[in-house]
Amino acid sequence: MANIIELENIEKSFGELKVLKGISLSAKRGEVISLIGSSGSGKSTLLRCINMLEVPNSGSVKIDGEEILLKGNGERREPADLKQLHRIRSKLGMVFQTFNLWAHMSILENIMEAPIHVLKRDKKEVREQALELLQKVGIADKAHAYPNQLSGGQQQRAAIARALCINPKVMLFDEPTSALDPELEGEVLRVIKLLADEGRTMLLVTHDMKFAKELSDKIIFLHGGKIEEEGEVKEIFENTKSERLRQFLAASGH
Amino acid sequence: MPDWLGNIIGQDLLDGLNYITNGKHLMWYASVRFTIIAALLGAGFALIFGLFGAILLNSKFLPLRGIGLFYSNIVRGVPDVLFFLFFPLAFEQLVEWFFALSACSAQELAENIGKWPPCPDAQWFLGTYEYLLLASVSLGIVYGAFSANVIYGAMQAVPKGQLEAARAFGMGPLSVLLRVHIPQMWIYALPGLSNVWMLLLKATSLLSLLQIADIVLWADRLGAPNYLKQVGLVHPDWRWRYYLVLFLFYILVTYLSERFFNYLRKKLGRGMVEA
Ligand SMILES: Nc1ncnc2c1ncn2[C@@H]1O[C@H](COP(=O)(O)OP(=O)(O)OP(=O)(O)O)[C@@H](O)[C@H]1O
Ligand SMILES: [Mg+2]
Repeated sequence: MANIIELENIEKSFGELKVLKGISLSAKRGEVISLIGSSGSGKSTLLRCINMLEVPNSGSVKIDGEEILLKGNGERREPADLKQLHRIRSKLGMVFQTFNLWAHMSILENIMEAPIHVLKRDKKEVREQALELLQKVGIADKAHAYPNQLSGGQQQRAAIARALCINPKVMLFDEPTSALDPELEGEVLRVIKLLADEGRTMLLVTHDMKFAKELSDKIIFLHGGKIEEEGEVKEIFENTKSERLRQFLAASGH
Repeated sequence: MPDWLGNIIGQDLLDGLNYITNGKHLMWYASVRFTIIAALLGAGFALIFGLFGAILLNSKFLPLRGIGLFYSNIVRGVPDVLFFLFFPLAFEQLVEWFFALSACSAQELAENIGKWPPCPDAQWFLGTYEYLLLASVSLGIVYGAFSANVIYGAMQAVPKGQLEAARAFGMGPLSVLLRVHIPQMWIYALPGLSNVWMLLLKATSLLSLLQIADIVLWADRLGAPNYLKQVGLVHPDWRWRYYLVLFLFYILVTYLSERFFNYLRKKLGRGMVEA
C-alpha cells in the first residue's frame, strides 16, 4: 500500500540545539502511529515538520507521494513553492495541544473557515458537513457558541471537527489531551478512538501509554533526537529491546 | 425670539436668549461641523495609516520594516502643531510647483525667482473644505504614527497559536493577516486607539491655524470685547466664558467617545479574552 506520509532523514536544530538528528518514518493509509518519548525529545517538533510549521534543516517530507519543495540550506531553508505548501497543508488535519480554535469565530465558523476560504468549497455543503461533524464529536448544541464558552474537552472536540472538515488525508495530533483535566480526557479520547476505528490515517503524539497501546498499529519511541525503537504495539510493550524504552515505560507505569 | 416669551421668562433671560441665538452665534454652532468632520476624517486616515504602518512594522522584510520604523518614530516625534502648519502649506506649494512647470512660461520662471507662486496661473486657491481635507490628512499622518505603534503592539499580543492554526490549515500570509491576525488584533488595540482618538480630538482645536472658521476661532471673535451697540450686546472681554463652553463641548465629546469605545469593546470582545 502507498505511503501517505514519508519522512526521510529529517534534521532540525534551534540555534545550537540539535533537536532532530535524522529521522525517517512512513505511514501507510489507514495506519495509526503513536509517537512517544520523554519531554523535550522532539515529538512536537517532528510533527510540526510534517506540515512545515517548522522547516527541517535537512531531509525531505512527502505527503501522498508528493514531496514538499524546499529551497536554501540549514537555518535558511524554506518552502520553495507556497502554493504547493498551502495545498498540501490543507490535506493535513492538525490538532494542537492547546486547541487553538480561532477565538473571534463561533465553533461553526471555525469549522467552516478552511473548507470555504482555503478549499473554496460550496458554503451550503460545508455547513451540512460541519453540523454532521459536530454531531459526531458530540457538541452539536455548541455550534453557535464561542470557543471560550466551552470546556477544554469540548474545545478539543471542536478542534477535531475543524480538522476533519477539510477531509484530510492524515490527522496529526499533538498531545490532544495533555492540557485537559483528567475527567475531560475521556471524551476526547473516545472521539479519537472512533476515528481510528473508521480507518483514518493518524499520527499521534501522546503521553498516555494505555491509550497508545489500545489505539495504535505502530509505536515510535523518540530519544535524543533519534528513533530509539519502533515497532508494532505488541513488540514494543511485550518485547522491549532498548533499555531506554524499558525505563521510559516503567516510568510511565508499564 | 417672539416678544411674548419675555413675559414668561423675563426680559433679561429673553435678551440673553436673543444674544446666543443671533446670526453670529448660529454660525458658531454650525462651525462645529468642521471640528466633527476633521475629527472623523482624521481618525479614518489615522486608522488607515496606522494599519499600514503596523503591517510594515510587522513585516519580516527589513526594508519594509525600516519604512514602518521611520514613519512611526519620526512622525511621533514631531509636534502636532508644527506638522499642522507644515503639511498643508508644503502640500499646497508642491502642487503649485507642479502647476508652475506647465502653466508658467520659461521666461516667467526665470524672472520670478524668489517669488511664490512664480506666475499667477500657478496659484492654487484653497477653500475651507480643501483646507479641511488637508487638515484631516495631517491629523491622519500624525496620529496614524501613534496608531501604527498601538496596532503593532496589538498584533504582537495575538497568541501565536491562533496564527499557527491558520497556517496549518493552508492559509497564505494575506489570509492569515486578514482573516485571523487583524480581526483578533482590535480587542488588544482598542484601549490604545481610544487614547489616540482623544488626542486627535483635542488636536482638532488647531483648525483655526489653517484659517478655518472653526469653533475656536468663533469663540475668539464672539468673546472679544464689544463696545458698539449696533454690533450686538455690549460686553467686555468675555473670551474666558466662550472658552469654558468649548471645554464643556470637548468634555461632552470625550464622554460620548468613552461610551462608544465601551460598546465597541463589548462587541469586538465577543469570544475573546477580556483585554
Ligand atoms: N521554536 C523553538 N525555538 C527554540 N527551541 C525550541 C523551539 N521549539 C522547540 N524547542 C526545543 O526543542 C526541544 C524539543 O521540543 P519539542 O517541543 O519538540 O519536545 P516534545 O518532545 O514535544 O516535548 P513535550 O513532551 O514536552 O511536548 C526542546 O528542548 C525545546 O525547548
Ligand atoms: Mg510537545
